[in-house]
Amino acid sequence: MAMKLSIFVALIALLLPLLSTAFSPETPTDRRILVLLDDQSIKSSHSIFFKSFQTRGYDLDFRLADDPKISLQRYGQYLYDGLILFSPQAKRFGGSLDLAGVLEFVDSGRDLVIAADGAASDLIRDISTECGVDFDVDSAAMVIDHTSYAVSKTDGDHTLIASDEFIQSDVILGSEKIEAPVIFKGIAHSLNPANSLVLKVLSASPSAYSANPEAELSSPPSMSGSSISLVSVVQARNNARILISGSLDLFSDRLFGSGVQKAGSETTFEKSGNEQFVTELSKWVFHERGHLKAVSIQHHKVGEVVEPAMYRIKDELEFSVEIYEWSGKSWQPYVSDDVQVQFYMMSPYVLKTLSTNQKGLYSTSFKVPDVYGVFQFKVEYHRLGYTGLSLSKQIPVRPFRHNEYERFITTAFPYYGGSVSMMAGFFVFTIVYLYNK
Amino acid sequence: MARNLGFLFLILSLTVCQAAIFEPVSDKHRSAALHLFRPVDGTFGSFEESYEALRTFEILGVKEFDISKSTCPLVLKTLEAFPPSSKDLFDALRVNHILRCEVEADIFEKIASKLQTSIKEASSLLDFYYGVQSLGLIKEQSPETNVQLSDASTSFHSIKSLSQSDGRWLFSFGSAESSTYAAGLALETLAGVISLASSELDQSMIGTVKSDIVKLFDSIERYDDGSLYFDDKLLDTHGHHGPLSTTSAVVRGVTSFSAVISGKLNLPGDKILGLARFFLGIGVPGNAKDLFTQIDSVACLEDNKVSIPLILSLPATVLSLTKKDQLKVKVNTVLGSSAPPLTVKLVQAFSSDNKIPVLENQELNADPESSDHSLDILSSNIDVGKYIFSFRVVLHDSENKKNYATGGQTQVPIFITGFINVDSSEIAILDSDLGSIETKQKLDLSGKTSLSLSANHLQKLSLHFELTTPHGNSFHPHQVFLKLSHESKVEHVFVVGKSGKHFKIILDFLGLVEKFYYLSGKYDLQLTVGDAAMENSFLIVLGHVELDLPQAPEKAPRPPPQLVDPSSIYRPKPEITHIFRATEKRPPQELSLAFSCLTVLPFFAFLIGLLRLGVNLKNFPSSALPATFALLFHCGIAAVLSLYLLFWLKLDLFTTLKALGFLGIFLLFVGHRTLSHLASTSTKLKSA
Repeated sequence: MAMKLSIFVALIALLLPLLSTAFSPETPTDRRILVLLDDQSIKSSHSIFFKSFQTRGYDLDFRLADDPKISLQRYGQYLYDGLILFSPQAKRFGGSLDLAGVLEFVDSGRDLVIAADGAASDLIRDISTECGVDFDVDSAAMVIDHTSYAVSKTDGDHTLIASDEFIQSDVILGSEKIEAPVIFKGIAHSLNPANSLVLKVLSASPSAYSANPEAELSSPPSMSGSSISLVSVVQARNNARILISGSLDLFSDRLFGSGVQKAGSETTFEKSGNEQFVTELSKWVFHERGHLKAVSIQHHKVGEVVEPAMYRIKDELEFSVEIYEWSGKSWQPYVSDDVQVQFYMMSPYVLKTLSTNQKGLYSTSFKVPDVYGVFQFKVEYHRLGYTGLSLSKQIPVRPFRHNEYERFITTAFPYYGGSVSMMAGFFVFTIVYLYNK
Repeated sequence: MARNLGFLFLILSLTVCQAAIFEPVSDKHRSAALHLFRPVDGTFGSFEESYEALRTFEILGVKEFDISKSTCPLVLKTLEAFPPSSKDLFDALRVNHILRCEVEADIFEKIASKLQTSIKEASSLLDFYYGVQSLGLIKEQSPETNVQLSDASTSFHSIKSLSQSDGRWLFSFGSAESSTYAAGLALETLAGVISLASSELDQSMIGTVKSDIVKLFDSIERYDDGSLYFDDKLLDTHGHHGPLSTTSAVVRGVTSFSAVISGKLNLPGDKILGLARFFLGIGVPGNAKDLFTQIDSVACLEDNKVSIPLILSLPATVLSLTKKDQLKVKVNTVLGSSAPPLTVKLVQAFSSDNKIPVLENQELNADPESSDHSLDILSSNIDVGKYIFSFRVVLHDSENKKNYATGGQTQVPIFITGFINVDSSEIAILDSDLGSIETKQKLDLSGKTSLSLSANHLQKLSLHFELTTPHGNSFHPHQVFLKLSHESKVEHVFVVGKSGKHFKIILDFLGLVEKFYYLSGKYDLQLTVGDAAMENSFLIVLGHVELDLPQAPEKAPRPPPQLVDPSSIYRPKPEITHIFRATEKRPPQELSLAFSCLTVLPFFAFLIGLLRLGVNLKNFPSSALPATFALLFHCGIAAVLSLYLLFWLKLDLFTTLKALGFLGIFLLFVGHRTLSHLASTSTKLKSA
């Protein structure tokens, strides 16, 4: 019996780490990532990228894309928190994984990295399309830019692009500015205008176009100019994050280490911006930055501490909320000056920016409107690159009670004066009337 | 297969497309090695890792780290203990082979005798491999030790019996799957057996191994760029070896086998060159293991007895006519050392567009000091464009032709770039039916222009310019786009066509009305001209044209939705403050107070009036009891009145009514007594 028990305990101990959950504020650590490759050699040619994950404490599971043993779930539980698809040529995945499986994985709030390149298969294109990104349909087309290419002595067809048109967001690309341009060699994609969740992180210059460098152009290219996106990210409504790159080489050790000189510029950089760009971006994708949580929403009347069950119109109240950002290791106070609270009933009656104490506490005070009904305190915080916060807390507002109105209105004094003098007269009159002789 | 395709693509993407250029081992590998192999506390970790690091540094000639002080004691300790695992012993011996620690001869003696017995009992390929290789290492480190294999031919036979008909080997007698990786190990082991054999081995056996090698090379696989490699398809118990380690094992096996046998292996030099290209095509690997495998294999190829590959490389394939670049070709061995005397010939150079040869049969000038061969393309009158150059390496010494593999013709894509002149550029608005010119303006495409044109849907816009190369020929760039972008960000791109020497585009707005979604307004004109061979590719904003298009009919297509700027979505909303209901207008306080005073005045007038009338209180009861009741009655009235006052000042309705109830009953009682007393008094008075 004791032995059976010990075997059972051992089994549980073995299984427990296998069961993983998506990024959640409760268990943000111990994250497992499945990496699907076309070829084992990508593991070594992109080793710096993978190593940066391992040093940050991730557990990478490398599989060939056609490995028949791939499965994302077991017994209804996901085995991984993230999926990296470095298999641009995979026509289908091994095992039970398919397009719907990948989308379900994202729908469960888990993160995805997709790298395509010139030979991207329909499967990879379909997954990207579902994420709001359309790759150029011409499979021979590459991004070409004759004015902002990376100067190279051996690459003459200007498909090696040096781009420094980054998205302006410290949260996505880190607070440190990326000085050197990023080298890109791959295919173009455009964003679906109907999808407001997808963002261009690295865009092409206005002179770029997507075409086959070997063939002469007879019709206008399907994509050109700054509408070409080189690297895009999606943050879904469930906070799942997706990175889509038109180039697998972008992540390669070779481009990480190569120097770069942008055409027409005199400055030569020892090292391209790729490593910094990709590492910072991967930190964002795997929620090491920009993941917010809000705790202890509090409100009370000015001068009190207890939260009332109801407010009266025209009460002065104080509202506070604490917001923290996940830094990869711990929750750090989030500092910003644009967090807003709404006092909301069908439409916002009050919308006020909260002031912060720089330690994560946001607070403000305002007067309850002179409209009664069931209100909500709403914090709708959606900023570029940050996970969205949607908090609401219901609170009823009542009108004045009968004894809460103003009692001594000066304007009414003549009436009161009249009554008082009449009463005094009545008093005197009763005496005089009764006892006069 | 997908895996192989993937690797193929990787190779292709890592090198330049088409006919690839392979660079020999260079300083990039050295700096990568220094970066990847870093000693921690004076060691590189395990013996295997130490060996990989030391071997890589040895081949690359890097002498940055000296780890002998910290590693030698560990090696000695391991050798003295004679580890049970033959692999550990092998790794320790390998490390010692490079470090040359001081090991006493009798330790080697002891190990050698144990190894000799273990080889006799060995049953699997790996047992043989580690045993024989360890003995070989001892032989080199301590020549006086007896390491000879007395029954070499038995061992040779047992290893050979693991071989399969297709040239692959089994790892052990029990295993079912043959492996190319095992073949590499087996060949290396056999080479060791031959060199350790005490007596000459049967030549016929060596001959069968030779034919096995030829068979093994039949299974070689090929990439489009000419590199060759071996790959194991099957996963076996020893774990999967990728193409890199499999090919490396075969290369090590074949080169060491060819080094110990007397004759020459019958392998074509092109295959060896293909293998060399495979290793060099990887570039600089990003992890230590792969770097070691690459460098070690390349070193095996550097001085093998089959044929030594020579690598033709170009430092630059983009040559600028304006900078007067010269075409330079380097021919080196795989490790980058100089090749025997040779000549590089340019067999042919043709334009990649129309395949017309521009240069033929030229000999490149050899620089006697370096391995460079150069050609002055400026004098050879080649115009800008993309060309394919094919080179052939011709060795001077005919003896060398047998020993070196040059790989016949090597095709390299070369871009010749130059400054393109833009001339006679004009833009005009034409009247449609007559073709008469409404407005015509010359353009300076090199500087800034700010056109301001206007047109309606019955007119046409024509743009016209000429491009000429430095040699005066007309030039056709890959990218000649005219972009019209409307204020609402709707963009239209037109390819400017070429007719003869001119580039000309005529936009007939009548036909474009639908395409422009009937959007009138200001359109910005942007011209982009660019090509890989054009050094002055440009994008200029020409100015704008004000289009007056007809009203859109009912069923006209709507312009497609445009991307929304994310900063417009993700930003704070404007603040809202509630506007409270305005308080009622009240008269000024002074006025109210003044009127309050006025309302008291009638009371005083009343009092004065009473005094003037001469009121008295003679009717007040004189006896004690009625007087008390009367007093209480008036006090009660005063109390009720002051209760009203209190009601106004602080009390609420409920308290007031309660108090009023009690007071009322009291008043009723005392009032009745008082009034009845007064009534009886007055009746008495009347009756009296």
